Amino acid sequence: MTLTIRDKADTLGTFRFVSVHLMETLARWVPTTPELEVKTLFGRHIWDLAQHADALGKRTFELRAALHYSRRPAAAYGRELERLTAVPGTADRITNMYDVLLPDLAGRYDTYLKEADPLLDEPSVRVIGRIVADFPRLASDRAAVIGERAELAAPRRSTNGLGAIAQIVEFRPAADAAAPEAP
Amino acid sequence: MTIEAGATKVIDGVTLRRDPARESCFQVVDTDAQMQDWPGMSGEARREKLHRHMNNETGALEIAAKALADFPDAPWDLRMQLARQASDESRHALVLYRRLREIGGRKGEFPVANYEWGVTDMLDNLPGRLAVQNRTFEAGLIDLLGAMRNTWRAAGDAATADLLDGILADEITHVRFANRWIRRLTEEDPRILLKVALAVRFLARANAQLGPKPGMTNAAGTVITEERTAPPAVNVEDRLAAEFTEAEVLEVLNQAGFRSILPTPLKAARA
Repeated sequence: MTLTIRDKADTLGTFRFVSVHLMETLARWVPTTPELEVKTLFGRHIWDLAQHADALGKRTFELRAALHYSRRPAAAYGRELERLTAVPGTADRITNMYDVLLPDLAGRYDTYLKEADPLLDEPSVRVIGRIVADFPRLASDRAAVIGERAELAAPRRSTNGLGAIAQIVEFRPAADAAAPEAP
Repeated sequence: MTIEAGATKVIDGVTLRRDPARESCFQVVDTDAQMQDWPGMSGEARREKLHRHMNNETGALEIAAKALADFPDAPWDLRMQLARQASDESRHALVLYRRLREIGGRKGEFPVANYEWGVTDMLDNLPGRLAVQNRTFEAGLIDLLGAMRNTWRAAGDAATADLLDGILADEITHVRFANRWIRRLTEEDPRILLKVALAVRFLARANAQLGPKPGMTNAAGTVITEERTAPPAVNVEDRLAAEFTEAEVLEVLNQAGFRSILPTPLKAARA
């Protein structure tokens, strides 16, 4: 199935919304996280997520949407995103970001890459390909911190619905369900 | 933006933002006089300098990150600069921590203060925060690092001197983007100048009230002299690279009693 221009812009706009949201989440966590190694882990990755949002926002303009067009995700996904980013403890923050949210996002990027026409939509594919290439480094940075601060690994958590976000199929709302948002 | 109740602390009559989160190994103090600061370059003095700087870079990270969180409607290109700054300050804190451990230090070995955070985060507007944090505190760091890299090199520690030079290059970019954005924002809306002026006035009042005074003794037992409270020599070349105007640099030079590392054109102008 060929994605329409509107589908592409909406999907990339939704990816952008999520990238900005995660950037802001890390930014909010920085002053309230005590551990230096984790604070700086979050601080370094703020820039990665900002660059992802920036590249996506420039591409949306080429897809006949606004420059830095952002689109709120589907309601269920948005609620789960809010829930996972609201946690206060350091170990939970690390787990939610690096074991749940980012892998889920990487999976959704991969899905887009599978659905996109690699020739017709090559610019989007390139943008997303570069973004996806960052994810292993984000994970290895996280692993290095846990290597230094093993007490911050959170092996528990089977009861609070962690991972539920991956069960949400609907990532972006239907075309008419959301108006374009300002960046 | 409003400041929620309980989010502030009052120190000697000045209301500041309550400290950001620190690990329990750190003793967090409120004023410079409560810090330990030794003269010279003894082993203890070196470790304390790196430890203090590490915490200051952590604070700069927290200030940039908080600005990203507090001002979601700021222009995207400015937010990108803040995001980059957050990443830079993270690297700075980490390399200083690495160097601290290399010379035998550890986290929490000395008291830390979060004065820059306490002042900057009280401001409810982004131009004010840029004026105080980037254009004032970080510009001051340009001067300080310009001098400190030479001090470390003269003390035989080229590794730390090179590290500080690397940090200095980054700090110039942080001051430069703030200078550019404050100019741009005030051109678009001249009322922003008032916010900037109020922010700088708040900083001046806090400095006057809480800054170290000659005759005080700090927590290391060092008597604070006039010389120790004097501003560092002005790093003229790097301030110009950070896009302060020559008039602004001359004003800072005047405040510093014309102690400076002067590039050739300004030396000629002064002569």
